[in-house]
Amino acid sequence: MPESTYDWRTAVRARLERAKLAPDDTAEMVEEIGQHLEQQFTELAPRIGAAAAREQLLAHLRDDELEGAIARKRRRAKPSRARVWSSSSLLRDVRQGIRSLRRSPATVVAGSAALALGIGLTATMFSVIYGMLIKGLPFDEPSRIAIVKLIDPRQPGIDAPVSLGDFAHYRAQQRSFETLAAYAMATVNVSGGDRADRVEAARVTSGVLETSRVRPALGRIFGEGDVDPAAPPTAILGDALWRDRFASSPDVVGRTIRVDGRPHTIVGVMPPHYEFPYNTRLWLPIQRNIAVVAPGQGENVLLVGRLRPEASYDNANAEFTGLTQRLAAFRPAADSNLHIVVLPFVRASINPRVYTLLYGMLGAVFLVLLVACANVANLLLDRAANRTREIGIRTALGASRLAIVRHSLVESSILAAIAAIAGVALAQLGTVLFNRALVGGSPTPLFWMDIRLHPAVVVFVIAVAVVASLVSGIAPAIQSARLDINTILKDESHAASSLRASRLSRTIVIVEIAVSSAILLASGFITRSIINLRNVDPGFATNGVLTARVTLTTSDTVRQRAFFERLERDLAARPGRSDVYLGNALPGSGWVDHHLTIEGRVYPRENDHPVVRTLAVTPGFFSTFGVQVIRGRAMASSDRSDAERVAVVSQSFVQRHFRNADPIGKRIRIGSEPAAPWLTIIGVMPTLVSASFADPWPPEVLTSFWQQSRFDTGALAVTANGDVSAASILRTAVASIDPEVPVYATESMAGVMRQPMRFFEIFATLFIVFGITALALSSIGLYAVMTFSVSRRLREMGIRLALGATAGAVTRMVVRQGVWQIVIGMAIGLLAGSGLVRIARAALFQVHPNDPVLTALVGAVLAGTALLACLVPARRATRVDPMIALRTE
Amino acid sequence: MTPMLTDELKKGSAEFLILALLAAEPRHGYELQKLIESRSRGVLSFHVASLYPLLYRLEERGWIAGRWVEKAGERRRRFYRVTTAGRAALETQRRSWQEFVTAINRVAGVRYA
Repeated sequence: MPESTYDWRTAVRARLERAKLAPDDTAEMVEEIGQHLEQQFTELAPRIGAAAAREQLLAHLRDDELEGAIARKRRRAKPSRARVWSSSSLLRDVRQGIRSLRRSPATVVAGSAALALGIGLTATMFSVIYGMLIKGLPFDEPSRIAIVKLIDPRQPGIDAPVSLGDFAHYRAQQRSFETLAAYAMATVNVSGGDRADRVEAARVTSGVLETSRVRPALGRIFGEGDVDPAAPPTAILGDALWRDRFASSPDVVGRTIRVDGRPHTIVGVMPPHYEFPYNTRLWLPIQRNIAVVAPGQGENVLLVGRLRPEASYDNANAEFTGLTQRLAAFRPAADSNLHIVVLPFVRASINPRVYTLLYGMLGAVFLVLLVACANVANLLLDRAANRTREIGIRTALGASRLAIVRHSLVESSILAAIAAIAGVALAQLGTVLFNRALVGGSPTPLFWMDIRLHPAVVVFVIAVAVVASLVSGIAPAIQSARLDINTILKDESHAASSLRASRLSRTIVIVEIAVSSAILLASGFITRSIINLRNVDPGFATNGVLTARVTLTTSDTVRQRAFFERLERDLAARPGRSDVYLGNALPGSGWVDHHLTIEGRVYPRENDHPVVRTLAVTPGFFSTFGVQVIRGRAMASSDRSDAERVAVVSQSFVQRHFRNADPIGKRIRIGSEPAAPWLTIIGVMPTLVSASFADPWPPEVLTSFWQQSRFDTGALAVTANGDVSAASILRTAVASIDPEVPVYATESMAGVMRQPMRFFEIFATLFIVFGITALALSSIGLYAVMTFSVSRRLREMGIRLALGATAGAVTRMVVRQGVWQIVIGMAIGLLAGSGLVRIARAALFQVHPNDPVLTALVGAVLAGTALLACLVPARRATRVDPMIALRTE
Repeated sequence: MTPMLTDELKKGSAEFLILALLAAEPRHGYELQKLIESRSRGVLSFHVASLYPLLYRLEERGWIAGRWVEKAGERRRRFYRVTTAGRAALETQRRSWQEFVTAINRVAGVRYA
């Protein structure tokens, strides 16, 4: 650098660096002072020499007085309304917010942890709802894929069947859909190669695969040639089946696969994760000339299609209602009030109860979030109260109320931003856990379900965080802005100015306690349901029993019977000898509902027949499941097809239908048709549990497995004392009789009993997490408020103690203050909670929604926790040293 | 005058001096420094670290207002002018200075230079 020049601006900038001014302020000063020094240097240098001039001016620049200039400049922020929201002053507030929060790390940790819990739970729940209900099918324009279904008002929740003939009528006349197709789900036996499997298949008309607009990974989808009744049968494989059975062989197209014993030519393979319409592994064409099937004729099918771009759901509904009225002539008069609906695919596929449950849970997590926000609001109120003087001085110096409000909002936003990041991490964990819990469960997860942190979820989290920061920041903000400067500056103690703040805090705590009481009550009832479900005495042995299911490929009843007879013999003869059960299903989950006819009673209408649950069993049922008849005798090996038809009934059956009179020898009929054979009751057994929330101990009837007319599917169970190889023994036994018959659903009986509870358990667990989180948050909130209020009153406590108040009296005084909030909050919350429980009645198992013991228990837990939160600060108040307390302030 | 007295006087009168100089016409910082130095014949002198804090303080008080002005052929400079409030303040100070000097004269019989 030549002697005659010097970069003064850089020197000034370096000098101002420490001042941390707003960027545009610094730039102005650098320019002005730099210019000044530059000019002075040019004049001075020729006189005293460049080096000396530089030294002199740099010395000026180092002068301490410049600090004053900087400080002045910084404080110059006169709050003109326009400037309050300018980006540079906002940035300054953010920096100042970060600095001031850094001084109280406890607030930051507590506040953002509370919000993070709330946001994390909300985001997890939203991820579930988004992945399950909102995101829709992973196909092109999924919102236009619709389901058409017939609703029977007499049987809500159960769709009335649509026949193939009805479908033909709809397809020929409708204008709303660009494709309308029909399918029927079937579980088929797939065999060939080394083993046989049960596979979920969809029997489809043309158009089902076209509706999804997904191209096959290999080969082609079905064309007109495939649905031709005369054509050789064809099949399309799902990716999983292709991998399992054909080792992902690229030349699989053209080969054959045996489905229910018949060879089918493979024409295509669908891409991975494609299971349209429902968890389908294999697609088979419905080989019928649909155009000639008359309405009301043909098999029952389900309808799915893609709406035309210009057609709305309203239009489609109107059109199909019209078409259905024309079909009424072909239906029995009893079905005249059936009505048809066209619904978006996902909406129609989710059980309305699950739908309500999911949104209900989203509501519940929002309540937890509200509790978290209330906590943060209280923390910030506490800060605001501690800073009334600071705020007063700021206002006196010209800070506008808007600036004060903004300052508080900036602080809550910083907390919310930290919480949002932690919340996203929590939600990530939550979705992973949720997915893990679903894997391998029953019902099988829906194939389009894709639960993870989608961009939409992240947007949701951001929105939630913004709302949370507003909700938790606005009360303290307004509180601070309302403060009267004169009072604050005059008032040396904080007592007067914090009075209003603490009243607000207490109201917030009441809200917190109310909300968490409601959630906790609901989760208490759900927990009770789970405990009841787990501890229910099924009435039969579930331990050490291994079960499996088989489905025969043959429909020849003689061969079916021969198969099961040999299976029973082979299993009984295997080494170690144990009990063997064969039946049409398993107890617990497999009961089948039937109408009942009791001899000598009159049933004027079809619906007057009572409903019973039935199971066809071999004599091995009683030994395998450890069930003992109370009266009469059990099923015997002599109860075969040529003998008198017999039944064993449950105690619940006797109570319900025979008023506890002796039923032995009475005759009943399963079903309402007069053609059904009479069964003679030969024994009474204890009531066994049935997997049903509504009626877990229904009237039950056991019939004889060997007296059935058909044996298409069977369940088997053997006692296996911890024998892991039992499953393979079952497989080997079946394979040695008929290698085409698949053995599936091998599981311990205990596992079978757990299956139906699984979905419920996942959601119940979530609900319990909500409840505990809410309780923890509100107790912390109460604790914070009590601590705060005690610290405000240290002087008063000191005086009281000095004047002779006992520690007990002081404790009581402090606790009394908290008790009011607890009592009011709990009263509101328990009332709201019992309403909530009544709504969720359907999810309760053997718990009365008014169960006083449970309500009292939840109340006690809440009150106990809340009291503890009061007691700790109260105890602290009694340990105040009067001298120290009086000296503060 | 002893240096100590100069400092004390400078502190009290600096604002007054600047207001007075700016009352004639708007000037920039360097010009102000030069003017004070030359008019006081070197007795009073300011440098960046003493001048700018003063200017900013006066500006904050609303007595003077700084504005970046671009003149043809010249670089952009920040010119300060006296505001209405500044003029009122200058008047008050002139009056009280006058009274102060008169009082000193009466007491000490010093002739004002």
